[in-house]
Amino acid sequence: MSIKKSRAFRWAVAPVAALAAMSLLAACGSGPAGSDALESSKDTIVFAIKEDPTCLDPQLTSLTTSLNIGRQVVDSLVDQDPETGEIVPWLAKSYTTNDDLSSFTFTLRNDVSFSDGTKLTSDVVKANLDTLVALGKTAPLASQYLAGYVGTEIVGDQVFTVTFAAPNAPFLQGASTMTLGIVSKATTAMLADARCTDGPVGSGSFVYDSYTPNDSVVIVARDGYDWPSELREHTGDALVKKIEFPVITENGVRTGGLESGEFDIIQDLPYVDEPRFTGGDYNLYAAANTGVPNSLIANTSRPIVSDPAVRKAMLLGTDREEINLLTGSASGKPATSALTSSTSGFESQADATAYDPDAAEALLDKAGWKKVSDGIREKDGVPLTVTVTAFYAQDVLEATQIQLKKIGIDLQLNMVTAGDFFGVIASGDYDFVGAGLTRSDPDALRVLFSRSSAAKWGIVDDNDLELLLTEQVATANADARQKLVDEAQETIIDEAYLIPLLETTQLHASVSTVQGITFDSASRVQLYDVRASE
Amino acid sequence: MESAGTSRARVARVARYLAPKIVQFVFVIWATYTVTFLLIHLLPGDPLLAALSVKGGDATTTDPAELELLRAEYGLDGSLWSQYWGHLASALRGDLGISIATGQPVGDMIARALPNTAAVALLALVLGVASSIVVTYFAYIARWRWVRTTLLQIPPLGVAIPAFLSGLVLVAVFAFGLDLLPSSGSRSPLSVVLPAVTLALPVGAIFFQVFSAAVLEAMASPYVFTATAKGLAPRTIFVRHVLRNSLLPSVTILGLLIGYLAGGTAVVETVFSRDGIGRLTVDAVLARDSNVIQGIVIVVALVYSVVNLLVDLSYGVIDPRTSAKLGGAPVARAKDEAAVEA
Repeated sequence: MSIKKSRAFRWAVAPVAALAAMSLLAACGSGPAGSDALESSKDTIVFAIKEDPTCLDPQLTSLTTSLNIGRQVVDSLVDQDPETGEIVPWLAKSYTTNDDLSSFTFTLRNDVSFSDGTKLTSDVVKANLDTLVALGKTAPLASQYLAGYVGTEIVGDQVFTVTFAAPNAPFLQGASTMTLGIVSKATTAMLADARCTDGPVGSGSFVYDSYTPNDSVVIVARDGYDWPSELREHTGDALVKKIEFPVITENGVRTGGLESGEFDIIQDLPYVDEPRFTGGDYNLYAAANTGVPNSLIANTSRPIVSDPAVRKAMLLGTDREEINLLTGSASGKPATSALTSSTSGFESQADATAYDPDAAEALLDKAGWKKVSDGIREKDGVPLTVTVTAFYAQDVLEATQIQLKKIGIDLQLNMVTAGDFFGVIASGDYDFVGAGLTRSDPDALRVLFSRSSAAKWGIVDDNDLELLLTEQVATANADARQKLVDEAQETIIDEAYLIPLLETTQLHASVSTVQGITFDSASRVQLYDVRASE
Repeated sequence: MESAGTSRARVARVARYLAPKIVQFVFVIWATYTVTFLLIHLLPGDPLLAALSVKGGDATTTDPAELELLRAEYGLDGSLWSQYWGHLASALRGDLGISIATGQPVGDMIARALPNTAAVALLALVLGVASSIVVTYFAYIARWRWVRTTLLQIPPLGVAIPAFLSGLVLVAVFAFGLDLLPSSGSRSPLSVVLPAVTLALPVGAIFFQVFSAAVLEAMASPYVFTATAKGLAPRTIFVRHVLRNSLLPSVTILGLLIGYLAGGTAVVETVFSRDGIGRLTVDAVLARDSNVIQGIVIVVALVYSVVNLLVDLSYGVIDPRTSAKLGGAPVARAKDEAAVEA
């Protein structure tokens, strides 16, 4: 079995300050040695996906399934090494930033074209960013990356400057995601709904061939592609000619089809089936979702939740090792911080999050929550009952519920539909929400907790934390920013504003003859190097 | 040659026969539409947020001002009353609106899914009806009582086994085990077989219950006694006399089975990962995608009503006694008589 895991790591390189202009170029001649030797014995690869992608344009959706396909069609300005966090050139051969990270100047490669034949120039990028800002609510994730966007100034044919009203440290990282991937000018002029169904025209190594909703997506390799980032194994055209993505909603049919050879790769191998595929006939691919792990996120304006003793007891009274064992992937690791171990900027809080039910009970006793006959604690006649509202991962919450019951906390589960979940967020009517937030930058913590964040789920009144969160966005120095992010994680765990439960793992499987599947820094798959051997 | 007078009288008679049926037809569709509309809108929760979260995931916007703008864009603003009339008016013009969750025109989505579902449903119906007739025939000619009893007890199993189980077993055996048929999707023409067989089990079983009961009743009737006394072979008696008389109640159940098929395809299409009306409905309900739900309901109600209208008209073909009395009450009476005699 070969498990490829992207690991956690601090930023190695992050936004580089002004003047320290990096000018890295993966020149054609300096491609990885032996890249010519890579070839595929099969022209067509079948990759079974678990749900309808719904929207083919990665700028407009945050559905994992859709992004796994969109990555092959749309390239980004920069790429990020999932191992080290280093930002490397891709469509842009170099970039510089000003001191306070409010302006970014990129120089594009001059040999890039879109699959409709048009060239990649500064004004195409400007059209992309301007359109995304104009779309606003229709492209919710992009508008988070582009918060405070002032405009894009075209300096030359291949040179442009993106300016923000305020420092935006996560922008460069955002520029490596598909959310800010670059599509052709014609695509930017289309209506959002048409972009979703027809698919965008990108500069990627594959182009959309067909999309039958609820049935399948087919992409075909593009002739003359020659601008992969240096993180890829080869240069030139993709190694396979065609990738089919049949939509297979039934888990048993995906796993059965992998065993029978009907599919080469399957998305989302159910964790319970993992042991069946650990033999030499299959490869497993696991990567924790980046961002905030699946957690209980507190609304401290609620009476019981406002009691720090209760929150801290909940943190100490949940056994993340056991939750991972019961509900997670065998390839996954227990959650130990407010960020997942695959996120750049992750700082383990393993000591503070260690399972310690005795300490939890002591905390509750001290705070006046006394055990009564039925095992649930009470204070002044009020039972220690809190509710978590969630729309997925009921098994994770049930495991938590059982663990918390042991220390006398009654956690009620309120499982709702996705729509009702956001309805609850909008009204603020919850004790805890149970979910994770997938972002590849530690700025996820600000999105989740800052008072000024339009998409906040955690409601906390903590000026120190607010300061840390707003300062890290404006800090250009990588070490200094890391320090702020470390402190933010520490504060969030210490105050138990968030009780991490599980790092959700993206777990895919392929037959062992298929190689070259890698994860990008957002734990979505990159299939440029994918190939089959005899 | 008929005189103008008699032909006019005939037209009037047909019109008198058809008019109430067409009124009923329109009423059924309107009532279904209205009840669905009320159900969707009276349920708690926000259809807009539900649909947005399909694409938005954890980045779904909850900003009230932005939501108001989108609400107006998708015709979800204004009072329930104005929304109802707005949607009804455009539905009457043939415009079913746009799916909020996917952004695709509802008409296109249904046009894409309907042929897939129709293929499975029709094949399931044919397989189910054919196998019911075959099993009943063997039960009919069986000489020993225990063979007959056993044969009559087997088909109800089809209803007892849930479709998601029989579907998965069929996939495991015929697709993964024997590699004879595709496991999923609608990319190959043969992919219709396994879902149709899965669905044929319950459909056939329901049809069988009614059909075999009618046949057994016919077996005890005087005309079968007479035919047997004349020395006709059991096969001839079955095909020429019993079959036709037993069809009348069975055809009625056929009309009702269309409703069952619409529900059954939801399970089968999920298990076999096929695009179709059933899966579209499930997805739309989960995403509270009101325009899609409304569109599907209209189409299914339309199909259901048309089939039942055809079933009504077919009574005349199957049993000439009913067509001889083209008119409201006598037809119903003739139908009742036919059912009793059969």
